[in-house]
Amino acid sequence: MDLISILATVILITTIGTLVAGVAAYAAFKLRDKRRPKKKDPTDAGDAQDAEPIFLKRYTPKTDNPA
Amino acid sequence: MGLSQLYRYFTSALLLGGLIALGGYGFYKVRQYDLTSFSIILESTILTVISIYLLIFLTLMIIRYAVLIMYSFMEHIEYQAKRDNESREIQANDALLPMVTLVVPAYNEGVVIQAALRSLLLLDYPNYEIIVIDDGSSDDTYEKSLAVAREDHNVPLRVITKRNGGKADALNTGMTHARGEFILNMDGDTKLSRNTLRACIRHFDNPNVGAVAGNVKVLNRDNIWTKLQALEYVEGLAMARKAQSFMRAVNIIPGPLGMFRKSVLQEAGGYDHDTFAEDCDLTLKLLMRGWHISYEPTAIAWVETPSRLLDLLKQRYRWTRGILQATRKHSSAMWNPSKAGINFFILWYMLFEGVIWPFSTVLGNLFFAYIGLKYGLVIFLFYWWLQLTILDIVAASYCVIVEEESPYLIMYSVGFRLFYITIIDISKVFATIEEWRGTAMTWGKLQREGKL
Repeated sequence: MDLISILATVILITTIGTLVAGVAAYAAFKLRDKRRPKKKDPTDAGDAQDAEPIFLKRYTPKTDNPA
Repeated sequence: MGLSQLYRYFTSALLLGGLIALGGYGFYKVRQYDLTSFSIILESTILTVISIYLLIFLTLMIIRYAVLIMYSFMEHIEYQAKRDNESREIQANDALLPMVTLVVPAYNEGVVIQAALRSLLLLDYPNYEIIVIDDGSSDDTYEKSLAVAREDHNVPLRVITKRNGGKADALNTGMTHARGEFILNMDGDTKLSRNTLRACIRHFDNPNVGAVAGNVKVLNRDNIWTKLQALEYVEGLAMARKAQSFMRAVNIIPGPLGMFRKSVLQEAGGYDHDTFAEDCDLTLKLLMRGWHISYEPTAIAWVETPSRLLDLLKQRYRWTRGILQATRKHSSAMWNPSKAGINFFILWYMLFEGVIWPFSTVLGNLFFAYIGLKYGLVIFLFYWWLQLTILDIVAASYCVIVEEESPYLIMYSVGFRLFYITIIDISKVFATIEEWRGTAMTWGKLQREGKL
């Protein structure tokens, strides 16, 4: 086996390994991103209206004037 | 599912249907002769088509490298000649230099913000101010910035805190509070070279120049990933950006260092919120309005890059999708060459680098690995790799000389082609597919290690 063939075999093994590793790394990155606790999108301008109430039960002031 | 997504699926279904019909017709014709030879004919046709495609791609790559090196060298010579003439003049007229406002957006940069601000206070320029925009950080970024602001120094430093709204929003806030005629936008974790302001400001002598892009270099060269990124940054900037600068058509003013005329920034409406690459989007907006964008190689922003593979993929995923979003936003110029002028080439070049290149290199690797395994023609894979590696080594050697970088970076060209760029290209391919499908995404901030 000459030098070029040996080098070619090394490149072949590395290429296949890298392709597999590349797909696996991308899958791992997506999985890690999915498992991370979700944060609200900071660019969402409407989050002020949709914010969760800070009370467990929504507070509604009593009116003194029944009329 | 939105209308645009329906349209994309419908177009793809139509194309796929056409291909299936074509294949079915071919199958019917072949069956009339000999069924066993069908798979051979099909395989040989597919392999021939891919071979021709890869041959065209390789030719384009060689042309790309040759053109970029040639233009970047011309820019280098032009720059050296200009600098020799101008440097004495600029030094002599300190009192005439206009005011520059440095806008530092900071979101949870507590680890690095003080070192970054202290380095900004030492810049070599007589007339500048710093505005830190704390973008609703949940850590002590605001308090730490205030502590630096209260220290004894001659440079006005203001700290503004606001509700979290993203980087674009923070930079726009900085723009509205800026008192300078020129604005330098940067990142909160960036360290600038001392000459940055002087080097950038002289480009504005040309009234057609609306903005100046700075040079970005990797600070944390600690492991294989960061060293490979250092090489990638040097190649991307010394070669590609210098060549673009020669044509006055730099296509991305990098987030870590970009200087603008305030009036131009205001006229363009500042940064938009609708892409994940606000710097690229703004650059395209300026180009579409006819402004020239220069590149200043001696104004250097030292940045901390991801040192772990998954963080690196996250960054590249966001960049790829952001650039595609910005390209799509300005895509009208792609179909109107007479009106768009140079912007027509810029957008197609961005599409080539962002989509066609990664798809082609991944396809090339798969193709040559397949014929190597199936037919024992491993030698073709070797020559494919060798040719691309030679191109990388030539480019790296040129860039290392021009940028006066460490020569050890040239050795990383082998690893760059052997595994690094394939892994990055695979993530770009997936990111492109997800962008096409309209998958939801978030900003994905890099966790700082405080290497500044």
